[in-house]
Amino acid sequence: MLTYDILIVGSGGAGLYAALAARMAEDLRVAVLTKVYPTRSHTGAAQGGVNAALGNKDPADTWEQHWFDTVKGSDYLADQDAAELMCREAPKVVRELEHWGCPFDRTNEGKIAQRPFGGASRPRACYAADKVGHVMLHTLYEQGLRRGVDYFNEWMTLSLLHDGERCQGVVALDIRNGKLHTIQAKAVILATGGHGRIFWNRTSNAYGNTGDGAALAYRAGLPLKDMEFMQFHPTGLRRTGILVTEGARGEGGHLLNGLGERFMNRYAPEKMELGPRDMVSRAIETEAREGRGGPEGEVFLDLTHLGRERILERLPQIRQLCIDFEGVDPAQEPIPIKPTAHYSMGGIHTDLHGMTPVPGIYAAGEAGCVSVHGANRLGGNSLLDILIFGRRAGIHALEYARSVDFPAVPHDAQAAAADQIKTLMDGDSEETTAGIRRAMGNLMSDKAGIYREEKGLTEAIAGVAQLKERYQRLRIRDNELTFNTDLVAALELGNMLELADLVVRGAQARTESRGAHSREDHPQRDDEHWLRHTLASRGSDGEPALYYEPVVIARFQPEARAY
Amino acid sequence: MSDTKVKADKLHYAFYSGCCFQGADARFFDILNQVFDRVDVELHLIEGAVCCGAGVIEERSELTSLVINARNMAGAEAMGLPFYTPCSTCFNVIANVQKRLRQDRHLFDQVNEILAEEEIEYKGECKLTHTLWVLAQDVGLEKLAERVINPLNGLRVASYYGCHTRNPLDIQSYESSDNPTSLEDILQILGAEIIDYETRTDCCGYHATWPNNQMSVKMTGAVLQGACKQEVDMMVTSCPLCFKNLDGVQPKAVAAAGEDFQLPVLFLPELVGLACGLSADQMMLDWHAVPVNLRL
Amino acid sequence: MTEAINPKREKILANIRIQRFIPGSNKAPYFDNFKMEVETGMTVLEVLRYLKNTQDSSLTFRAFCRSAICGSCTVRVNSRSLLACSTQLLPILKDFGKSSVTITPMANLPVIRDLVVDIEPVIDKLARMHPYLVETRECIPEAIELECLMSQKEVDTFGYVTDCILCGACYSACSSVKADEGYAGPLTIAKAYRFSVDPRDSFRGMRIQASMDQGLWSCVQCRKCIKVCPKDTRPADSIRHMRKISIDDGIHDTHGSRRAIAYTDDVERYGQVNKPMLPVVVYGTKGWTAIEAAETGLQKLGLKPTREVCTLPGQEVAARLYAAVRKREKAKKVEKEL
Repeated sequence: MLTYDILIVGSGGAGLYAALAARMAEDLRVAVLTKVYPTRSHTGAAQGGVNAALGNKDPADTWEQHWFDTVKGSDYLADQDAAELMCREAPKVVRELEHWGCPFDRTNEGKIAQRPFGGASRPRACYAADKVGHVMLHTLYEQGLRRGVDYFNEWMTLSLLHDGERCQGVVALDIRNGKLHTIQAKAVILATGGHGRIFWNRTSNAYGNTGDGAALAYRAGLPLKDMEFMQFHPTGLRRTGILVTEGARGEGGHLLNGLGERFMNRYAPEKMELGPRDMVSRAIETEAREGRGGPEGEVFLDLTHLGRERILERLPQIRQLCIDFEGVDPAQEPIPIKPTAHYSMGGIHTDLHGMTPVPGIYAAGEAGCVSVHGANRLGGNSLLDILIFGRRAGIHALEYARSVDFPAVPHDAQAAAADQIKTLMDGDSEETTAGIRRAMGNLMSDKAGIYREEKGLTEAIAGVAQLKERYQRLRIRDNELTFNTDLVAALELGNMLELADLVVRGAQARTESRGAHSREDHPQRDDEHWLRHTLASRGSDGEPALYYEPVVIARFQPEARAY
Repeated sequence: MSDTKVKADKLHYAFYSGCCFQGADARFFDILNQVFDRVDVELHLIEGAVCCGAGVIEERSELTSLVINARNMAGAEAMGLPFYTPCSTCFNVIANVQKRLRQDRHLFDQVNEILAEEEIEYKGECKLTHTLWVLAQDVGLEKLAERVINPLNGLRVASYYGCHTRNPLDIQSYESSDNPTSLEDILQILGAEIIDYETRTDCCGYHATWPNNQMSVKMTGAVLQGACKQEVDMMVTSCPLCFKNLDGVQPKAVAAAGEDFQLPVLFLPELVGLACGLSADQMMLDWHAVPVNLRL
Repeated sequence: MTEAINPKREKILANIRIQRFIPGSNKAPYFDNFKMEVETGMTVLEVLRYLKNTQDSSLTFRAFCRSAICGSCTVRVNSRSLLACSTQLLPILKDFGKSSVTITPMANLPVIRDLVVDIEPVIDKLARMHPYLVETRECIPEAIELECLMSQKEVDTFGYVTDCILCGACYSACSSVKADEGYAGPLTIAKAYRFSVDPRDSFRGMRIQASMDQGLWSCVQCRKCIKVCPKDTRPADSIRHMRKISIDDGIHDTHGSRRAIAYTDDVERYGQVNKPMLPVVVYGTKGWTAIEAAETGLQKLGLKPTREVCTLPGQEVAARLYAAVRKREKAKKVEKEL
């Protein structure tokens, strides 16, 4: 049996930073377990920027303003103590990354360059051309190599082990050879990213962003928080949903409807294209619904007036993406775009240290929910979230691991996972992973997308239940043990269905509109009844049970949100 | 952009010989002239041209390579003729310099500043070409067919481009980089049967001759072995440096591989010459390291 | 403003040949043939996923971000290494003029299953290059309150190399890796270069040593890596830069560095490389045997061997240009140090 003091599941920014924080002490054994390879993680797809009030572009910027912007952007659902912490520590972690070699772009004075971003009162998104997530991820991986972090690559975690009082470890599948392993660990940090793939065909997320960590935690009896809040990023490429960074608007891009109008005038007259994402997505959806979109209901992101040189200098990658995936050169034509499911504000419920209700089990990054993003996340805050809370979880796990002995691990730890795999491989079925998955994606996009209402959500809940039933009958055809991607996809689907269930239930229960959650039948924000977090746990009957907890209000009293 | 000038039905080029056409390989210059005479092409030596540096100079000073090659091209520009070189590496190095200076205005100005001290101006407009495209496109396959006197009668030929006229993707715009056909088109017009073989796109290793000789010899051997497996009559290459390895180093490469075969290798102009009625003596085939017994 | 109507759409019924192999289960790799309609805009990855979802769910390949940033999906199509997710298939079919295309896994690496290869060998080689910043205290302040100051120009020196997504296409295409398993490969040396010119780094010497140990001079400059890199990071250029750094740092006693110095000095002195004397310049006294053998060969052909090359007419101007370049480079160096 493998043993580690601290085991980190997930190798994106949060996981890698946690590993580094834990490994700095050098006396504990730390491993990162990932379904892919660290540099493949979805952190690398983040393009636009990481927020920190360095004051390099605008010396009048302060972390308090960043704090306010974050809270306002969250539509006042963020826990203000968590947001405060994140914004106050931001300059520190960004500079630490820079000291580790991260190649940020620079101002004329040689400091880290910053640019405007949606919902930000001052330009504070630190960037590296249009690939800041990529360079951050690689920097963290490189430093991990330096510090002797152990990596288990292409291992998928199937069970989270605990006895209700403390963490025991995990059971994981070595995808390469199909073997199951039990890993004993004093502390486990779940940093597996988001679950945007529940909107299977209309998301910017990678294929593997299936919320494995959140599903693991849920099945292990831990509560998930605010699941109904899914952010739709306004600018995804029309054909594929691949992201075009908000940075393109930060550089001065315009949003035009099918009639050539800069329609944001109607929705956020002051901030225009740099309004917060939920507002811009809704604006685009409305334009399309009211018939002012292009031939396929899309709108257009126009960069042509920026000039070819500026585009090549600041946005070279997205230009290539537009050419490769949409057949459009942004220097010459406006880019056709549609909102795309992008970020999961909800996730595993944790405290300010990333700890869940079970000691030793942590969550950080998009997989977790502290909550700093509340009902809507500001651009540039996700990369910050993973650094701050990855680090905090790593530090806290380090202290915790030093203070306890190794836990006992149940002798039948692998039973559940082994059964699950055996069932999937046992016999034939008419159901296919691709079929159920497509149906799930369509269901979620149709009935739980940007605009929601009671009838649709009720149908969605029934629809998910039906899909879960079909999933029970699913059998995979590939029975090889070696690198069985058919099996992995089926296991991921099971995780997604679990989470989709919580998303639609939370959405139906919340009879207000807040942030990214828009109810056509309840269009107003209702602080009196709904200034609270939704928590979802598996009930004793196996069904999800929802309950609520208050939002931590510190300095900022909830106000109307106008931009 | 200067175009091919047609003077009295001949095609004229500013000729950049590269280094392998001097010293012991000076015969290539002679062979080229004879062959091009057969297809109405006239070569005019670029005055003051120097070695392109083969990219090796860039391991000491990139700016030096940019300057001397800009000057080489300026020579052709001053003559108003397209820049032709029979050497694939010279073509690659110089085309790369042209591209680099086209993309970086600052560098372009810097290079011209330095050249101005010698009263040379580099415009960056000349057309760069190589034997493959002079024959396949400028002279044209039709005309070439007319000039064939001794067709190859189905000779089984393994065609070999080498790397430097194919990589990277945009080093030339005459044909596809993944699937070029100029060499095969020419050979077919001459009457050859083109035989595919496993190592057709592998590198011969010429440029590792000095830094890692063992690896270079191994790579040459591998290319030859791949062709031999298909029982070809000969290999024909459009690159003079590949030729130097595939022919000149062949005995050593075959021995190093523990093998025992002989595969005649020809440099494209030699075969074109033979097919167009020049003799083996005129093509100086005796000078090959591996004997070429070709009766046409 | 409306979009152009009537987009050009084509379809070709194609035969997709894909290499299958489970080491241990199959004796050797074999090919499966799938038929499908390939449309305008379809990427290789879309094709693979379509086949997996509708024809054979056991078809195995890696894919993750499908937006050319994670580097998972590298495969070979008609022998060219590329990212499946960002390469369209129809243009390849048309380029080769056939209705059949062959998809194989990356070269130079052991196959795990079908199109999935084991990339551990590359990671091992990468790790040996110290591919991480080792901070120099002169540049990086102790305190975390300040970032190290760097100009955008300094970032741009290596910025393009940081575009590398570790997809391995260059490694798969590399001629020298193919010939010599121990060779580090393009992406690893490029990473070594990236850090060696980062002003915040202090480990340059170690990385030069590591590069040399793993074949810095084995690169044959075939440019295949430049051709296949999906992010245009030009690894072969980085290798040349790394070679230059090693020579500038005073490491002259390798065959490759001697060649570089000889070529550069010869062109200044003669306008061309003194090839007859290269063996002894590069190998030292051992080189005389090669020189003598070459001279015997020349004599047999009736030629007079010479140990000098003639000075080309263009040499005079070339020498002055060299001097002018040297002057500028010196001035730049002084400017940098100020």
